[in-house]
Amino acid sequence: VETVAPFKEAIEMIREAGGEMFRKCFQCGLCTASCPWNNVKTFMPHKKITESKFGLVELGEEDWWLCSTCNMCVSRCPRGVAITDVIRAVRNITLDSVPRAVPASLKNAIGSLKISGNPWSGAREDRANWARDLAIPPVGAETQTLYFSCCTPAFDPKMGNIARATARILKETGANFGIIGAKESCCGESVRKAGNFEVFEKLAKSNIDAFHESGVKEIVVTSPHCYSTFKSEYPALGGEFNVVHLVQYLSRLADEGKLNFKKPFPKKVVYHDPCYLGRHNGIYDEPRSILKNIPGLTLMDEMNTRENSLCCGGGGARIWMETKKGERFSDTLVEQALELGAEVLVTACPYCILNFKDSVLTLGKEDVLDVRDISEIVDEVI
Amino acid sequence: MSNEISVSEIPVSQGKIGAVMVVGAGVGGIQAALDAAAAGFKVYLVDKGPAIGGKMAQLDKTFPTNDCSMCILSPKFIECASNPNISIITNTHVESLEGKAGNFQVHLYEEPRYVDEEKCTGCGTCAEYCPIYVPDVYNESLAKKKCIHVHFPQAVPAVSMVDAAHCLFLQRKICQICVPTCKSKAIDFKMQPKRTTVEVGSVILAPGYEIFDAYSQSQYGYHRFSNVVTSLEFERIISASGPNGGEILRPSDNRTPHKIAWIQCVGSRDETSNCTYCSAVCCMYATKQVILSKEHHPEIEAVVLHNDIRAYGKGFERFYERAKNMPGVRYQWAKTSIVGEDPDSKNIILRYRTDDSKVKDEQFDLVVLSVGLNSTEGNRELAEKLSIGLNEHGFCESPAFSPMETSRDGIYSCGVFHAPMDIPDAVTMASGAASLASQLLCEERGTLMEEKVYPEERDTTGEAPRVGIFVCDCGTNIAKVVDVPQVVEYAKGLPGVSHSVEETFACSVDAVNHMAETIRKQGLNRVVVAACTPRTHEPVFQAALREAGLNPFLFQFANIREQCSFVHMNEKEVATEKAKDLIRMATSKAVLLQPLHRAIYNVTPEALVIGGGIAGMTSSLALANQGIKVHLIEKTDSLGGLSKRIPVTLEGADVQNMVKKLVDEVYASDLIEISTNAQLVEYSGYVGNFISGIRVGNGEALKEIKHGITIVAAGAEELKPNEYLYGEDDRVITLLELDERIEKDSSQVKECDSAVFIQCVGSRNDERQYCSRVCCSHSVKNALQLKKLKPEMDVYVLYRDMRTYGFKEDYYKEASDQGVVFIRYQPEDPPDIHAVKEKGKSFLRLTATEPILGQRLEIDADLVCLATASVAPTGNKPLSQMLKVPLNEDGFFLEAHMKLRPVDFSTDGIFMCGTAHSPKFIDESIAQAQAAASKALAVLTRTSIEGQAAVAEVNEELCSGCRVCEMACPYDAVKKDEEKRVSVVNQALCKGCGTCVAACPSGAMKGKHFTMDQILAEIRAAFAA
Repeated sequence: VETVAPFKEAIEMIREAGGEMFRKCFQCGLCTASCPWNNVKTFMPHKKITESKFGLVELGEEDWWLCSTCNMCVSRCPRGVAITDVIRAVRNITLDSVPRAVPASLKNAIGSLKISGNPWSGAREDRANWARDLAIPPVGAETQTLYFSCCTPAFDPKMGNIARATARILKETGANFGIIGAKESCCGESVRKAGNFEVFEKLAKSNIDAFHESGVKEIVVTSPHCYSTFKSEYPALGGEFNVVHLVQYLSRLADEGKLNFKKPFPKKVVYHDPCYLGRHNGIYDEPRSILKNIPGLTLMDEMNTRENSLCCGGGGARIWMETKKGERFSDTLVEQALELGAEVLVTACPYCILNFKDSVLTLGKEDVLDVRDISEIVDEVI
Repeated sequence: MSNEISVSEIPVSQGKIGAVMVVGAGVGGIQAALDAAAAGFKVYLVDKGPAIGGKMAQLDKTFPTNDCSMCILSPKFIECASNPNISIITNTHVESLEGKAGNFQVHLYEEPRYVDEEKCTGCGTCAEYCPIYVPDVYNESLAKKKCIHVHFPQAVPAVSMVDAAHCLFLQRKICQICVPTCKSKAIDFKMQPKRTTVEVGSVILAPGYEIFDAYSQSQYGYHRFSNVVTSLEFERIISASGPNGGEILRPSDNRTPHKIAWIQCVGSRDETSNCTYCSAVCCMYATKQVILSKEHHPEIEAVVLHNDIRAYGKGFERFYERAKNMPGVRYQWAKTSIVGEDPDSKNIILRYRTDDSKVKDEQFDLVVLSVGLNSTEGNRELAEKLSIGLNEHGFCESPAFSPMETSRDGIYSCGVFHAPMDIPDAVTMASGAASLASQLLCEERGTLMEEKVYPEERDTTGEAPRVGIFVCDCGTNIAKVVDVPQVVEYAKGLPGVSHSVEETFACSVDAVNHMAETIRKQGLNRVVVAACTPRTHEPVFQAALREAGLNPFLFQFANIREQCSFVHMNEKEVATEKAKDLIRMATSKAVLLQPLHRAIYNVTPEALVIGGGIAGMTSSLALANQGIKVHLIEKTDSLGGLSKRIPVTLEGADVQNMVKKLVDEVYASDLIEISTNAQLVEYSGYVGNFISGIRVGNGEALKEIKHGITIVAAGAEELKPNEYLYGEDDRVITLLELDERIEKDSSQVKECDSAVFIQCVGSRNDERQYCSRVCCSHSVKNALQLKKLKPEMDVYVLYRDMRTYGFKEDYYKEASDQGVVFIRYQPEDPPDIHAVKEKGKSFLRLTATEPILGQRLEIDADLVCLATASVAPTGNKPLSQMLKVPLNEDGFFLEAHMKLRPVDFSTDGIFMCGTAHSPKFIDESIAQAQAAASKALAVLTRTSIEGQAAVAEVNEELCSGCRVCEMACPYDAVKKDEEKRVSVVNQALCKGCGTCVAACPSGAMKGKHFTMDQILAEIRAAFAA
């Protein structure tokens, strides 16, 4: 057995990078037992925490980049350890001190964020291209409500319909809203989870400035990742806004009796809980109640739902990284949906949609299973 | 002026009232009620449920002795029910309370039972006719029972009740089938809720707990998978009186599970469930369930998935070791997640990390959730109504060093209402709470008491034997093995037998009353009960004889359970034949039984307390407060004991201040005579009349003390180890030494940059197979102090299991938050320590294997603190020999019963408290000291006590005065009368063990109740089949 001494400088670095939570851990291993990676291969968060506690981390290890921040471990941890914070701290140190250990695709995304404010190498000025034919006004003093589409629908052509559908719904339901366009940047959620706090702060501050400039009070979002960041991280940087996810907006309308579905959607639909909507923010009932009220729609639950929902694999900057075949959580979810006999896999997160679309394609099931954002279904029946 | 006083002018009773209300009738409430009644107070025992017994009545067996829970509890039911000074009030809760300590008016609200308690016999006929099935709450809804039913077979009061929520008549005004079936006309649907007001001097709160709601956390799959059950459900599944008659069957398919997993800490030590505290009992009950499962089916594979195993109580560590070493049992240190259910087998798949750094998926037939103990909504309401403070976890708050006190004078608490705890701790606190109530109401003692009056004894001289035989099914404990109806028939044909009958539970209140009635009606003059054991149940049946006007010694037990159905479980025919043999033997003896009478003795109302630590002083004061003269002897030159070395508690309370106050109070009391440098050197006598010889200092002359009871509070000591360089290097110290160092000169401690605590030094090893209970918390306390003195100090704790049970868990967590690093080590791979000099620096280098990393960690420390064992003083052995009371294998005093008699010895009149019993915290010692005082007081306030009746007797004609009997007697009860030159038996000391009878070469000794002809008759009957 090797003899090692606690490495105090490393402990201090992790602490300073925000990973101090390792102190609380009593090594019960529940994080490891809960982590979805263990469906496909061995990954032991409790060991990572222990390594951090003694400063005995191997910065070059691939493992540090696996975590999709799905929050399963955090939501169950009996000692309240934010395991993802510790991992984020080590990622932060790695970015600075062992750049060669950082996945290449992640470096590309960070580069794109730095240059054009989005991770998908899109041109900044194209950000509002999706809205060209929709005549959406720029957000201003009269509107005060911003629709923030998220970079993924804005720049990925196969995702654009989500933003368009959402905008149509907002219009149809009489929302007084606008968009910002080129001055808008990525919310920064994923790059923060990747450990690059510097880029995150830059993006966040530029957004906050842009929002303030336009007099934004309320933000309607498509992505739970944007939702989480605006809600939990922006206030500390001076950005206090009323943040509303589309499902919350719709469910509020429904409560007021203002949401009427005119057409039926006679299909078997399975709803997937996005981690950042569910476990991170506790929003479980709103999307279900919306879907349940659509005429003809048969709503089914996944094998693991709500607090126990399986991550698609796209959080924690994993959306930018390559995941090997056989290790993709989204493949499992698509297979489970097919087993249930679902015709449509619906969710409320662009990352989930991106991953599911990929999975359906690579599994050759695009004729059998339709992947939709909840906005797209509502847009069809409203 | 008119002589009349208008009603409004009648004052509520002025002054104190000699009555106590106990709220909650679980085992704690029952014990508090019995103690308060024994102390001379009228008791109202109130419970919101339909019967007394609480959660303990639902348990199968109890750890660490595996005694049957109901078997040890039901005698207490009978004691309560038959005590004329205890009013049992069920289906009732406290609505409000007024008044002050000594004089409370308690307003009660009683839900209607729809059955008249006075009229109902609990015969169960109504239930046979009732058409509606409801979930059986007693069986955790694993079975169904009729809407009108008796809560459980041994229930007290043994009367039916109507489940109003499901009754067809109460809900829909149809049915009422049950009403005409009741011969006693007891069913009354017109019953209304009843409000009453009771005046009492004091209130003892024992409302208990509820188990953690496993539904609330979806991760356990309790709502989704049928083969996931709670531990309380498992108690019912495994219980002989449960829905499967004691067969372990899993819910999905009623098949015996081959592989069972226990998941520990469900709703305990868990921030996500808002229960950060440790529930203190789950590790042990799971261990018990493992052992019981293995006993049911030795081939069962049992896996306990756990965090720290908290086997901290007396006898727990051995129990845990026993379970761990059983074949097919695994204890796996890991919390687990439920991956899912196999759709075909309905097996549950669990995922957990293994010790060799792997992640494993494993299937189990059944998963048991070891759910924690929670406060209840009802408890919160009760506390609010009574203006009682609760802590952040919803448990009763008490001032430092007064565990049974609440935030309101005159209202006391005990059991799990105070904190999660196991049965003996709850029973101890219950007696302690009764002691406080007794002190408060001292002057009113006896003012509201009623004597239990039995009818005059019938003279049976000259009557031909008329034996009544009662054969008990013990639910299914006996009946599922022995063919009881066949045995009953057989007994009818035995000589002298005039009545023979089967009973489902012979010990139920209803059955006992019925027995008395049968004795009277049939003119029986001998009774044989074929049931369990005389150890627990003889007094119950003897009371029935007395009730019927028969001398209680005209009774004979045939143990057809322990000696028959339990040991011949798989040989039903043989067992039935053996039951017949046992009953035939008992009957042959019964016909020869003679009435016996107990001798009456006076009581010397004084106490001897041995040991002047916190426990001894607390007991002394409790007695002196009630006018009892106390002789307190202390072997050292001052009072205070070990506590003099403890500056503060983990919770931050000032120990020295408390001890000083206690010492001052003891010295200030006129009734306490203190002897320091004193030792007990001579001891004789019996309960009520002991004589002790005390040597003070080196004096030759002995001081003679006459006293009625003795309390042993001889304390414990901190082990001085001979490992880890202790005694060789002064940087290695014990916990108490660190306490002193921090207290006296913290600057020296502040110079340290790194400190290491090593746990379990001298505990939990082959030499001392017990956990010292306090050291984990003690180390946490000191670690927090070091962090406070110097936040940048590196503090490490090398431990095996952190046993910070109950609310002490919060401090363990606090220490982690403060950066104290906890490293688990294995006993077979203990830490290593070397003194090292390097680069001009001198330090201690420790290495220990870190189990997660799988590497040996090297830590350099300036201070090493050893958490050494609490050990029994060497003086315990001679003391135990002098008092003729037993020690356990670890040298601590051994109580009469691990679960229900935690402060009593088997010898009457001698009690124990504090660390003399086992290592424990100050609060626990204080509770036990009060409990011992309560037991002592029950003896000392009596004017006289009854001795044994079945004693030895000398036939002076035959006795040659050879003294063989005197040497043989283990109780010092036989002495030779030098004048008459024959032996004389001291009837007060004689326990009737019969050793002298066997030893006497002349046949001069006779054992009453076990005479030669009685025994020979039994032997003859044994071979007469």
